[in-house]
Amino acid sequence: MTGLLLGAGALQAKTPIFEIEIRDHLFHPEELRIPADTKVKLVVYNRDSTPEEFESYELNREKVIMGGRKANIFIGPLKSGVYPFFGEFNPKTAQGRVVVE
Amino acid sequence: MQPRAFSILMLACLLLLQSPRLMADGSVIDKVYHPYVEQLEWELEWRATLADEDPPSGEERLQLHRLGLGRAVSEYVFVEAYLIGEQSAGEGLGLEAYEIEMLWQLSEQGEHIVDYGLLFELEKEHNRDIWEASTAVLLEKEFGRFSATANLGLTFEGGSDIADEWETALALQGRYRYSPRFEPALEMYSGEDTLGAGPVLLGLERLGPLSALKWQAGVIFGLDDTTADYTVRALLEYEF
Repeated sequence: MTGLLLGAGALQAKTPIFEIEIRDHLFHPEELRIPADTKVKLVVYNRDSTPEEFESYELNREKVIMGGRKANIFIGPLKSGVYPFFGEFNPKTAQGRVVVE
Repeated sequence: MQPRAFSILMLACLLLLQSPRLMADGSVIDKVYHPYVEQLEWELEWRATLADEDPPSGEERLQLHRLGLGRAVSEYVFVEAYLIGEQSAGEGLGLEAYEIEMLWQLSEQGEHIVDYGLLFELEKEHNRDIWEASTAVLLEKEFGRFSATANLGLTFEGGSDIADEWETALALQGRYRYSPRFEPALEMYSGEDTLGAGPVLLGLERLGPLSALKWQAGVIFGLDDTTADYTVRALLEYEF
């Protein structure tokens, strides 16, 4: 998909990458600190066998990650602040936040 | 997306606005599509427009209803089938057409300067040999809590009951993401018999995992002599 756009590879090379895991319907880590005014790429690994959805109205993102798969989620540039996210399939346990500083 | 490609798309938007003779028959006021697919999602949708008067045909209180059932068939592809009904002041509600559409998400949200996708539609009028094949480029850009969306459409209309014709259409939406239940927006639609703009409210109520009720309601005011003075549009969508 990224190959559809010329120069996308060069753009991605400059994008900081952060990783999150979903295990036992929890996000690890629950808190992710990222720099302000910078676009970042979250690589979310779902280690559970069931699907989960990374969802955040504050981040304007929702993405289903199938069991045993990973997904790339691009967020930002963002202003300083706390941006909560949760797993829509397990909203009571799968909760986290992105702290932009 | 490269700045040059983005400039070309914006120029295409301007050309669509500047060349009304090239544009679509009838009102193109409907809804604005976003270039995203939510994997595993099913969708039951009803949407409708009510125009006070359709100047080209003279029909009053013209209503169009669409009832659709859709499903994400992959991470990036969503398909939906519709029944389309029509009703006016002088006639009852009747089946007008069938339609199938496919939305193809082509970029990850936020990955490039603009998110983009494609929409394909095939429509067949009921009891008449009139076919309509459409494609639209869907673009969206996020500016903090604001989102700007553009749909640039190209349609071929043909069949033994109509002269072959190429048509274009443009729909724009500027939306403020105030809260999930309340998102005010401004929309603009342009086509051969349409030039209108107006306010729309959008919202969503979560009902559970992958289950939500979405709604949209607005009034699009006609900006030229061929567009109805006002068109009310509404949408209810149950996602599951």
